[in-house]
Amino acid sequence: MNDDLDTVTAPATATATDEPPRRTYELEETGFREVPKRWRRFYRIWQGEGDTLAPNEVICPVCKVVIRSRRELRPGDRVYCMPCMSRLVVVRNADGGLEAEVVY
Amino acid sequence: MVDFLSQYSIQRWLEMCPQGYLDGTVYGHDPGETEAPEILEVDSLREASIAVTVQLIAGERCALAASSGLINCAPDDASKTFLATQTLDEARHVEIFTQRLMDLGVKKENVNSTVADLANPHLVKFAETLLEKVSDGDFVAGVVGQNIILEGMAFSVFELLQASAAGNPKFAKTLAGTIADERRHVGFGENRIGSLIREHPEKKAEVQAMQAEMSYHMLATFTDMFSDAGQRMEEAKQLVADKEDNPLEGVTWHGADLMSATPDVMEAVLADTVLNEFRTRLDRIGIEYQSPKVPARA
Repeated sequence: MNDDLDTVTAPATATATDEPPRRTYELEETGFREVPKRWRRFYRIWQGEGDTLAPNEVICPVCKVVIRSRRELRPGDRVYCMPCMSRLVVVRNADGGLEAEVVY
Repeated sequence: MVDFLSQYSIQRWLEMCPQGYLDGTVYGHDPGETEAPEILEVDSLREASIAVTVQLIAGERCALAASSGLINCAPDDASKTFLATQTLDEARHVEIFTQRLMDLGVKKENVNSTVADLANPHLVKFAETLLEKVSDGDFVAGVVGQNIILEGMAFSVFELLQASAAGNPKFAKTLAGTIADERRHVGFGENRIGSLIREHPEKKAEVQAMQAEMSYHMLATFTDMFSDAGQRMEEAKQLVADKEDNPLEGVTWHGADLMSATPDVMEAVLADTVLNEFRTRLDRIGIEYQSPKVPARA
């Protein structure tokens, strides 16, 4: 396993000194096969109603795949969706959850 | 910009697609898989499956002509490379859906006449609207029409068909591979045009008019396809309900219960889903979505 790999291409810099450290996650294979093998654990298919996102996950608005990171995601993080090759930035939505916006 | 475009490489496509999710497949499905027995044994279901498959072939033939035609008018080498891979994806889609038509009992020599007879006239108009832009060498309009409108429609239609094919692993697997391809295609459409449309704001009005026209023909195709589907859908539901383990029990698609939804409900859910996707995608790249005319019911 290559521990340098991640979908976050540029983490947001901390804005507050009292911000807690990010949680880290051990990613398991999810059965996703649409990217080269070394990247497969970083993505999964959104299961629709009843599915929920973990703090290290965000949905790609372009192709609807769930992007996973080895670290908890935060607003300002730049992430990459390999299945559709979109560059995204994580933002906080009106509900307080995290979502991704496309960077053109 | 250089980094953004450099990801469109043949090597990346090879690793993701033929060496990835298509590895070991035969015409897009696992070796030895066959169509569900009830589709092959019940004439009305087999004919309905043929009719649906013909629309898929017609749509994919259009996509093949559009993606190959756009290669020569692409403004950069990376876009040409991506469209070359998309051309092969679309050619594969034409091939696997044509193979399905033959698996459903259409003889090879009758494939083209079957497609000509059963292709919905509105779907043909939808294709002609797009291919006119491609023939004119209009890269921006061509990519919006192909990779956002056509592929956006295909993305949702394939997802609905995949959910409906819960009892038909062969067709579901075939669709899974095409959906994976569509992710790249819609991604290219949004990402490439998202940057190009900023350089060519004068193209917006023309692209918006094309979107409204293509959307109208898409809705008219949906209306035609669902208008006489009531008895057939009931028959199909009864057949799966009679199975010991009903594969569609509890399966929903965008809130619609596939075992209880009427054709009218399914048509409305599909149309709303696709149009909302168009609106969202176009809004993201700075193009104002145009509400299409509502097609008349027969």
